[in-house]
Amino acid sequence: MKGIPTVLITVSPEVSAQMRPPRALYPRGFKIGNSLGGPGMRELQAQVLREALTILGENTRPGQIITREYPAYGEYHEPPRVRN
Amino acid sequence: MSIARKCVPFTPFEGELSRSTIAIVTAGGVHLNDQEPFNIADELGDLTYRIIPEDVDSSRLKVTHHHYDHADADKDINVVFPIDVLRDLQSQGFIKGIAKKHVGYMGYTMQLKAMYEGTAREIANEIDKGSRADAVILTGG
Repeated sequence: MKGIPTVLITVSPEVSAQMRPPRALYPRGFKIGNSLGGPGMRELQAQVLREALTILGENTRPGQIITREYPAYGEYHEPPRVRN
Repeated sequence: MSIARKCVPFTPFEGELSRSTIAIVTAGGVHLNDQEPFNIADELGDLTYRIIPEDVDSSRLKVTHHHYDHADADKDINVVFPIDVLRDLQSQGFIKGIAKKHVGYMGYTMQLKAMYEGTAREIANEIDKGSRADAVILTGG
């Protein structure tokens, strides 16, 4: 069996962590429905996508969710929390 | 293809992005506007998925999903399904190519076992066979 490398872009890192994604990028403060940024923000979308793809080749720990800041987004939305 | 259940199913990426073909798999309820919409009336969710071809015109994509606000995706599908952004990265030489198949499904279900053991494997097989993807970008809503 040969797997396929994946990288997740998540705006709900706690929720995503429960599903044990192999690698993930959390663009900090992006709202649900804006995984890559806001509509029409093509430069920001490209930056997020480039950085997510770059994570594929980095020496990440399986299951790691990497948080990055993107000030160009201009908003902060609290991500959903998992209730214990 | 089966999926590891107990551990993180990690597959190393040993290629170079500039020589790699990339697919998108989204749980954001994305589909072509002439494909059957996801069934949002069923409170158990919808276990089906839609294949999106590599040459899709992004203006022909829409979202059917009732568990997140997709008003922004309605204006610009790239916020959850970055197909045009991927094309920009291809034209810049950052990646080599766009996979032949991409997948949209509705990432809400009360049928977790069927999603995990059925739909997820079917989607993995779609990407594995015939998409020519070297790696996959996953997005939610």
